[in-house]
Amino acid sequence: MKGKAMSGNVKAIPFLLPFFIIYVMFTVYPIFKGLQMSFYDWSIIQKMEFVGLENYIKMFQDPDFWSSLWNTTLFTILSTPTMIILALVLALMANTKTKLRGFYRGAYFLPSILSVSVISYIAIFFLQPYTGFLNSFLHMFGIQKEFFWLAEPTLAWVSIVGVTLWWTVGFNMILFLAALQDIPDFLYESADIDGATAWQKFRYITFPQLIPIGRVILLLQILASYKVFAQILLITGGGPGTTTRPLIQYIYQAGFEKFNLGYAATMSYALFFILLILSLIQLKSQSDDQGVI
Amino acid sequence: METNTLPKREVQPSQVPDQPRQNQPPPQPKKSKFKRGKVLRNVLPFITAVLFLVPLIWMFFVSLKEQGAAISGVLEWFAPPYTFENYVHVVMDTAVLRWLVNSLVVGIITTIITLVVTSMAAFAISQIKFSYKKFIFVFFLAGLMVPGEATIIPLYQIVKDLSMLDSYIGLILPGIASPLGVVILKSFFDGVPKEVIDSAKIDGCSLFRIYYNIVLPLAKPAMAAIAIFTFIGSWNNFLWPYLAIFSEELYTLPIGIPTFNSNYSQDYVLPMTVNAVASIPVIIAFFFFEKQIVKGISFTGVKG
Repeated sequence: MKGKAMSGNVKAIPFLLPFFIIYVMFTVYPIFKGLQMSFYDWSIIQKMEFVGLENYIKMFQDPDFWSSLWNTTLFTILSTPTMIILALVLALMANTKTKLRGFYRGAYFLPSILSVSVISYIAIFFLQPYTGFLNSFLHMFGIQKEFFWLAEPTLAWVSIVGVTLWWTVGFNMILFLAALQDIPDFLYESADIDGATAWQKFRYITFPQLIPIGRVILLLQILASYKVFAQILLITGGGPGTTTRPLIQYIYQAGFEKFNLGYAATMSYALFFILLILSLIQLKSQSDDQGVI
Repeated sequence: METNTLPKREVQPSQVPDQPRQNQPPPQPKKSKFKRGKVLRNVLPFITAVLFLVPLIWMFFVSLKEQGAAISGVLEWFAPPYTFENYVHVVMDTAVLRWLVNSLVVGIITTIITLVVTSMAAFAISQIKFSYKKFIFVFFLAGLMVPGEATIIPLYQIVKDLSMLDSYIGLILPGIASPLGVVILKSFFDGVPKEVIDSAKIDGCSLFRIYYNIVLPLAKPAMAAIAIFTFIGSWNNFLWPYLAIFSEELYTLPIGIPTFNSNYSQDYVLPMTVNAVASIPVIIAFFFFEKQIVKGISFTGVKG
């Protein structure tokens, strides 16, 4: 028996080892390395000095940390509900029985496959005052006001959330669409026999059937929103001022503009902690739903 | 914002199949209401689709303008004359094509290595008996909860210590370290009938032949989904190459595009041409792989 287990080990190692090494090196080790770095005054040119909890104390007293964490949270609060509602609406629209449904699905999804850089630079030029497409379009309908979409704090948030919706809603729409198509037809047929109205059918058949996938989308969306960085960096640069600067951008600036990798690692740990809790909630709710991980 | 609320109300009638309504003609006023509902139900999805496409259509039309063309008014954006000169210029005189090739190379290599190493690891966990197997699987599972964004600073330090910054290998290796492929493939491999494996063993098949000739071909759909997602992830990855690559000739597209476009603020034409050049291959690939992509997304949604 012992010999058999040993031979199993020998056989398993070559299959397991390549991934194991890469996984340990680039997924597991960074977690511990980050913890170590957060206890050091660790500059980018690597002159290290152990400082204990100093970085953590600094973080809790740093208003810029809190404001960028708030910005990330605000982005999550603004984008998550609108994302879910829009995804559901688009899925319902792409699920109508017409010849164009393939076109609808493709059109709603197409922006999702484009790179964040392309999306952002389309947005920057699209939203430019005076010469951009959107303002010219509004002028055509007699709205003469000049909107500074990226220069005014409220409008900047509207723009960022709007662009993000346009860019990523297709992905969530596909998830809703798959769930919609899984609802068995006989439920609707028997509702027809009972003379149910369209609203009743939505309220009592469609909606309840979409709740499980809706919960998955909600949590995936919150997780993704807390990682927001690239489109804000590219579209507003965190501005005007720092009003839209998300946490990851502040971490980046601490590490690579102020060359304080130790402090950047400390704030990364705060983000890690937030994301870990969110994914634990997600795993829990998914295993509650399906009985598997 | 309008699209958020408006269509929702109008969409519900779409759940009513057309047949029964025609069989039992409703009273007159109701009929006109239905008609209006029907028009909205057909028009709103179409208008929304057009709204989603307008920025992309606009991008293509701008890229066909003459460089420095002065535009005033919406319709002028779409009016002739058209020219392909900008495309020639972008392809011949700038590094954009180089960045596109870099993105392709990094994406393809990342995808291939991911498929090989994750399927091997999944095979070991699914089909070979060895000690601490359960522990190792849970160890991999736990990695699903590690957000790459939150470990990017120490990752930078590690890759720097390995002298792999500013190189393809430094871009590629962290991209393979996600255990998602192992987890998905393991559950797929578990479904391979035990009798098939046993009879192969009796026939004297080596473990590698069982892996390569029997188990892998059965997992093609899962492999395809993982390949598509790994490639798209690598193709669109912004944060890591943004930190890890400094040389312009090693830039991937997501890093190169902003570097190029940030030089322009009033000339729309060249930035939009660059955007178009970067998007055309992806859009073409999308039309070829739409089914697989859609299937793959539904798959990850269910599996988490």
